[in-house]
Amino acid sequence: MSDQFDVLIIGAGVVGNAIARELSRYRLNIGVLEKEQDVGMGTSSRNSGVIHSGIHYKPGTLRARLDVKGNSLMQDLCRELKVKVDYIGKLTVAFDESDVKTLERLKEQGEANGVPGLEMLDADQMRKKQPDVGGIKALWSPSTGIICPYGLTIALAENATSNGAKFILGQDVSSIQQNGQGFVVRTANGNAFTTRVLINAAGLFSDHICEMLGINEYRIYPCRGEYLILDKRLKVRLSVLVYPAPGHGGAGLGIHLTNTVDGNILIGPSNEYIDDRDDYASTAAVTDQLKKEGHELLPGLSISDFIRSFSGIRPKQTSPQEGGFKDFVIESRRDIPGFINLVGIESPGLTSAPAIALMVRDMVEERLPLVKKDIFIAERQARVGTFSELSPEEKADLVADDPDYGEVVCRCEQITKREILDAIQNPMGNRTILGIKYRARAMMGRCQGGFCLPRIVEILEKEFGYRPEDFILNRPDSRLFAGRVR
Amino acid sequence: MHTLKRDLVIIGGGPAGLAAAVAARESGCDNVLLIERDRRLGGILNQCIHDGFGLHQFGEALTGPEYAQRFIDRLNSLSIETMLGTIVLSMDRDRILHVSSRKGFSRIEAGAVILSMGCRERTAGAISIPGTRPAGIYTAGAAQNFINLQNIMVGKKVVILGSGDIGMIMARRMTLEGSKVEAVFEILPYASGLPRNIQQCLNDYGIPLYLSTSVINIHGKERLTGVTVAQIGQERKPVPGTERHVECDTLLLSVGLIPENELSRGPDIQLEVKTNGANVDDTFMTSIPGIFSCGNVLHVHDLVDHVSDEATKVGQFAAAYLKGDIEIPESYINIKPGKGVGYVLPQRISGDRDFVLSLRVSEPCRDKAVLVRDGDKKVKRKKMVRLHPAEMIRIPVRVDKLGDARSLEVCVE
Amino acid sequence: MIKKELICVICPNGCQLQADIQEGEQPAVTDVTGNLCDKGPEWARQEIVNPMRTIASSVLVEDGDFPMVSVRTDAPISLKSIFDVMGEIKAVRLNAPVKIRDIIIAKVAGLPCNIIATRNVQKVKSLNQ
Repeated sequence: MSDQFDVLIIGAGVVGNAIARELSRYRLNIGVLEKEQDVGMGTSSRNSGVIHSGIHYKPGTLRARLDVKGNSLMQDLCRELKVKVDYIGKLTVAFDESDVKTLERLKEQGEANGVPGLEMLDADQMRKKQPDVGGIKALWSPSTGIICPYGLTIALAENATSNGAKFILGQDVSSIQQNGQGFVVRTANGNAFTTRVLINAAGLFSDHICEMLGINEYRIYPCRGEYLILDKRLKVRLSVLVYPAPGHGGAGLGIHLTNTVDGNILIGPSNEYIDDRDDYASTAAVTDQLKKEGHELLPGLSISDFIRSFSGIRPKQTSPQEGGFKDFVIESRRDIPGFINLVGIESPGLTSAPAIALMVRDMVEERLPLVKKDIFIAERQARVGTFSELSPEEKADLVADDPDYGEVVCRCEQITKREILDAIQNPMGNRTILGIKYRARAMMGRCQGGFCLPRIVEILEKEFGYRPEDFILNRPDSRLFAGRVR
Repeated sequence: MHTLKRDLVIIGGGPAGLAAAVAARESGCDNVLLIERDRRLGGILNQCIHDGFGLHQFGEALTGPEYAQRFIDRLNSLSIETMLGTIVLSMDRDRILHVSSRKGFSRIEAGAVILSMGCRERTAGAISIPGTRPAGIYTAGAAQNFINLQNIMVGKKVVILGSGDIGMIMARRMTLEGSKVEAVFEILPYASGLPRNIQQCLNDYGIPLYLSTSVINIHGKERLTGVTVAQIGQERKPVPGTERHVECDTLLLSVGLIPENELSRGPDIQLEVKTNGANVDDTFMTSIPGIFSCGNVLHVHDLVDHVSDEATKVGQFAAAYLKGDIEIPESYINIKPGKGVGYVLPQRISGDRDFVLSLRVSEPCRDKAVLVRDGDKKVKRKKMVRLHPAEMIRIPVRVDKLGDARSLEVCVE
Repeated sequence: MIKKELICVICPNGCQLQADIQEGEQPAVTDVTGNLCDKGPEWARQEIVNPMRTIASSVLVEDGDFPMVSVRTDAPISLKSIFDVMGEIKAVRLNAPVKIRDIIIAKVAGLPCNIIATRNVQKVKSLNQ
């Protein structure tokens, strides 16, 4: 394994991967170190998947500037990477006069940030966009969209890999030394990597990386958000995103419903500061609260409509007492030349990722010559969406060409064997069950793998020689099985 | 795209589909196609290697695979057409199906359809068990598949949530294979499976059963390390102070079966909330003419012998329908569940033929009677020593006893 | 003398039986009440003195379309002999094909009971051939 790089990025989340992809346009030896067994296992995959318009951020901040820029870049990026994105628009709804004033302020703020297409709508106009929505007025932001967050994170990594970036998984950085030409980065499993430029994109652990270089001014306060996922077949379809005006009537979590780009509905997220930045548990109290507020928003929900819960952890820079948000930290450290530091990239980090990548590229250019490659593979070799979303005629053609498309493995989501095989044979070399799940969309349906996991296990066993001890869920000790029966 | 035409298409080759296919053929339907998504027939019976199947049908206590083979042999001797490894992806009101297999993607036009897709298991996510999501959590049926069909052991120290039959069967299986089953926890104040299984799967092996108790937290970041359990009191909430930690590396869930009616949504077949299955009449026809339903996809059964009975009748009705011998009546006599009855099926009858009611009581009780009545008038009464939600009750009713009833109610008294 | 409660499993009535048991090396059932028919007391006696069971398990098969063949006892065996029987079952290795009702182990653990196959396992060419 190569261990000398021009640029080494710590953290294969959406930000780290966007940077890697952008830098892979240039003749640079790029490495990405990731402590988990796959990319995007942290905050990047665990969020609402919303592409924010930019109305909520103070003009002049990085959050405002990078969000609006990232938003405008996202559609082309997704087209190249074959990632589903849908600019469905958002209604921010006012229920009383004080809310209306809030909306007017937001509109001004958005316009100052360069957000396109903002409009105040009256009740009739609102209900044309979303029938039976409540409220008296709404701010319409057409540039709000939804995206598959793990789909984007994985696609960025795969495309960066196609363009020569090296992703090294299972590398938990334990110490960093400066050595005159750059940095020596050591990992817990005894590896050492050298690099001229070091980029900290470690998300929830970015403050730990800072401390390794003697930078003690940052601290991450993990703040967990829990979600419930609802079944795709709910007849209530949200055509657009609907949020209450910020600060509207405080009781509860201010829960909203979000469409996912795959057709599920998310209830959430909640907001809870926690101590352990690795604690993704769901809690009874929050689940009950989410269900209660979900019932208010969608009367007639039944237990069989809930597929599961999940949670994400925000890398907040503000303490529980402070609350609120601090701006992104994206700095090229003068005191540690060659160290580009990103701290506290919480919302709107996903939307901002393409713009952050450009900003970081400029910082890298201050340190290293950036010479464009002759060949950059901009388009990722993949299909947008799943086989199940094709028309019957398109399906028939694919199956006639490749029988593996004819064999459905995940019945709930109608995922075919070909898609499972593609997921197993991914360019990252990830071979975990969750890796297959996030790439193929298997096991995400209402049976949660009850039907397809045995079949996926059989494929891995028969066609890839897996033994029971080789099956892991996500981390090295998350073994699925305990050996053979006989 | 290839288009085929078949008189009768049966979706699902488990016990229901097998019996329906055989019955339809024996009733004179020559053009029967049985579609099964697995590469072999038998459905869930293939992984149910324990015995107790066939006491009524064959007078023997057979295992699942043996029971299935009896019907598979009959099917083969009748040369009934099958498509294995084939999944039905969609169906519409006109009984046009799109199916997919390694051989190709095709369109099938069916004169009549029998839905026999079986059911799926309720998951941990659906019941929102708090905690982390480590490896080692399985539904009991998935664990049964790994152990019995793939020679893979799922874990060594097991907790089972849910006292349904499948949970108890797996408790015994895993014990015989050398795992330690710590306990079975059941949220209700009574066991939801058969007393025979409590004795032969739990008591025989010293596995404790805790009622009114459930799992309230899951621990472990990589592989399961344990669960927190607590007694469950009012409004299904944990009773404070009763929490205790149970170390384990495996959690099996046996918390309910849900008829797999996703295909039924295409043609907008009317489904019942109480059964999660179709609303049917006394020919087991759904709300869409020519589409019938039977077996676990109609309502979850506890005895496969009853599934075969029900499916045999449906196969006969479907064949009769294709011959034009079944008249869809102008109006139906509705049948409703009353006091003490969870559900009753069929939900409407024509009054043209004798029928058998299938029902489940909502709570265990003893020394009661199940009453079928038309207002105050008794139509049929069955006295029973033991009534339990886990055991389906079947009551044959002669149509000449109905008089001029416009609607019926079934209750416990 | 102790009292023991049992639920009879012979028929769906599930009578709740109460048995009076004289303890000792050979426990003896002196009385049974709660039964609605006369099969109950005999079943209760057997169940207390020497409970009989049937079990099902799996046997390893080489070169088959299933990795194991499901098997069962073809006659009831005593509860206390189950783990001896399991020991013998675990030790067997078969080669495909196997047919339903094939006797896999005759007179298992010296008992008047055979272990028989409960499914057909076809022979498939393994990758090594």
